[in-house]
Parts: sequence; C-alpha cells; structure tokens
Amino acid sequence: DGNMASDRSDSAAPLLAGCALWKQGAEARIYRGKFLGRAAVVKHRFPKRYRHPQLDEKLTRRRTVQEARAALRCRKAGISVPVVYFVDYTTHCIFMEDLVGSITVRDHIVTTQQSGDNPESLGGLADEMGRILAKMHDEDVIHGDLTTSNMLLRNGSEGPGADLVLIDFGLSYTSALPEDKGVDMYVLEKAFLSTHPNTESLFQQLLNSYTAASKKAPAVIKKLDEVRLRGRKRSMVG
Amino acid sequence: HRRLELFPEYSVTQMLFTDVKNAAALRKSAMEGQINGALINPAMLVDPFQALVAANKAVHLQKAGKMKTRSLLSEIIFNLSPTNNISEAFRRFGMSDGDGAVHVVTVHPREDMSDVDTILARVEGRQVPVGEISTFTDVPGIKKLYKVTPSEEKCGSLLEAVVCRMAVKDVV
Ligand SMILES: Nc1ncnc2c1ncn2[C@@H]1O[C@H](COP(=O)(O)O)[C@@H](O)[C@H]1O
Repeated sequence: DGNMASDRSDSAAPLLAGCALWKQGAEARIYRGKFLGRAAVVKHRFPKRYRHPQLDEKLTRRRTVQEARAALRCRKAGISVPVVYFVDYTTHCIFMEDLVGSITVRDHIVTTQQSGDNPESLGGLADEMGRILAKMHDEDVIHGDLTTSNMLLRNGSEGPGADLVLIDFGLSYTSALPEDKGVDMYVLEKAFLSTHPNTESLFQQLLNSYTAASKKAPAVIKKLDEVRLRGRKRSMVG
Repeated sequence: HRRLELFPEYSVTQMLFTDVKNAAALRKSAMEGQINGALINPAMLVDPFQALVAANKAVHLQKAGKMKTRSLLSEIIFNLSPTNNISEAFRRFGMSDGDGAVHVVTVHPREDMSDVDTILARVEGRQVPVGEISTFTDVPGIKKLYKVTPSEEKCGSLLEAVVCRMAVKDVV
C-alpha cells in the first residue's frame, strides 16, 4: 500500500499527497485517505492526453459537476449516495465519504452464485435495487452507467432492506423522458446479464419491483422493450 | 486545532465562547483586521466539522485565486451558506452585534499561535469546549435554511446534509 500519490506530475498532486492510489480506471483514479479526519475516497478525473486539451477540460469538468449535482439531488430524495465533502473544479477531484467495509453488488452476487448455497437470498437485493432505481427515476435522475459495480452494499448488508448506495454519477443527467429511463435500465440489463450468467429471472424480479414502486414505471418498461427490440435488430445487421 | 491535510502548512483553530459581552467591538476589530478570526453565529453550526469544511474550501479557493469575497475570513463565512448570496450569508452565519455567543475560526501557519492568543485576549466571555457546539445549534433553523427534507434525514445525518450542500453549492 505504499503507492503514495506524491510522485504525481500533474496539478492535483499536492491535494493527493496524503492519499494512496486504490483503483485505476480509464476515466478516473480512486484514492483512499483522510479528509479533515474522516475516511475519504478521492476520485480524480485525470487529463486524457489523447483528447484535445480544451475539449478534455470541458468534458472532465462536466463529469465532475454532474457527479456532484446528482449526489445532492439523490440525497434530497432519500437515495443513499456517498456524502460529497469537497470538490476541486480546477483539478477535477471529488472528495467523498469512504464507505468503509462496503462491497459492490457485483462482488456480492458473484460470491453468492459461486458458493451456490443460497441463490434465493439475492431476491431481496433485486427487490431493493428495483425500488431504489424507481425512486431515482422518479426524481428524473438518469444514472448513465448503471452496473452492479456502481452499487455498493454498506457494511456488507444484504437481503430485504439492504443498505444500497449508488455511486459513479459522472455520466448522469436529468430527464423526465421514459425513453431516457428505459435506456438507463437497458444499460443495466446488458451489464447485469453479461456479468452474472443465468440471472434472467433475478433481473426480471428487479424489473417487477421497479414497476411496482413507481406509477411512471410502465411507460419506462414499454420503452425498455422497444430499446431491446432495436438492439436485437441491430445485432442481426451484423 | 487541527492541520488541514490538503494544505499542511496551515492549521485551523476553533474557539467557542458564551456569555460574550463585547460582540459589537469584536466585530469591529475583525472588520478592521485587528483580529484574524471568522466570527460565526454558533446557532448555525451543527458540528465543528462544518466549520472545518468551510475553512478548507476557503484556503483552496484563495490559493486558486477564486474566492467570491474579499478575504479568507469572509470566505469562510460565505462557504457555510447554502446559497451564493453574500450579504445573506453574513446575516445568517456571521455574528451580530447583540450576540451573546460566538464561534471563532482562525486559519494560521502551523506553528504560529499568535492570532489565537489575540482572540483569546480580546473576547470578553467564557470559553467552552468546541465539542459543546450542539448545545447552541438551532436545528429547526438550519433545516429550514438549508432546505433539508425529511426523506434526506432517513439516509444521513443533518451534518451530512449540510456539508453536501456546502460542497456542491457552486454548481447547483
Ligand atoms: N465512496 C466510496 N466508498 C467506497 N468505495 C468506493 C467509493 N467510491 C468508489 N468506490 C469503489 O471504487 C470503485 C470505482 O468507483 P467509480 O469510479 O466511482 O465507479 C467502485 O466500484 C467501488 O468499489
């Protein structure tokens, strides 16, 4: 864990000096450290050399802004997302609450499936995911990149009433259109079924819970069906 | 007092006073630059962490040349507010002349406690531990000002609601 950030060459280096690199993504690096005494995760959207500098700056700034905005919008609606502590819009760093001890929904599903002892226990989690996504869409927040890696289980909680926390809102935006919500669910479906084989009925359970939780859901599911059909037609074009 | 991790050359010291008798004179001294401390109405603070977040952001914006107000101290007070209205921020979060309690936040070089000593000498009042700030907190007033919803309180504390708004107010 001696991978300290002090050797960084760009302008965020001073801010990250006390943090340790934890995860490296294509879009951002995730660090763990302290913010004013509290356990914090720092998400640094670093400059992309392959992009035109001004365009890169604009895109990166937008993602940082979207992430911060969506966090507040979700929390106001009672949807758990990490608390944002501090945002540096000049180096594109977000300092947020570290959900210490949490695991991704992805890891939880994989482990449960591998152990094979109680796959039905995932049903309660699917229900909870459906409910939270319905609530998020009722606030007209479109996540933009729904996957089981972008949902955390706080302190390893699971089952009904699981403490689900949504993360990674960098591609989020607001829209009331059922089409946008349908695409959001389609992205999740694709990611879900490819990451977790043989979970068609589990995902259907998620959709049922989503539908039961919101009056606006039927219009979204109708769009989801249309998007699926389009996807299938396109795949046949080859 | 604690060091700012992100700006290790600075420390933030917080002091809480009650039974204050010279609020008006203190405010005048602060405006004339004789004391180097942000004078905050403790009723608007949930926790000392809230003031630290405001101070950290003020130091950051000063270094980046992006402060919205004219001094680091006024920037700390401005950062506490959920809105971008500067005069409102001062009215709500700054100490008023008749106040009997004050929370003082000062940012100083790590080793240099002279500003702290000056403040301790100037305030005519009784110092209490900053950990007692919650006994001064106007919870209903804060909920109203920051527009904290009941559903939000289900997924987090009042302090978290407040800190989140302070952190993202520039872009909402
Ligand atoms: N606030 C957080 N607390 C704990 N883990 C996090 C947090 N944010 C991100 N992570 C982890 O970092 C990974 C990448 O984050 P992200 O780039 O936001 O998708 C996630 O899949 C989580 O495992």
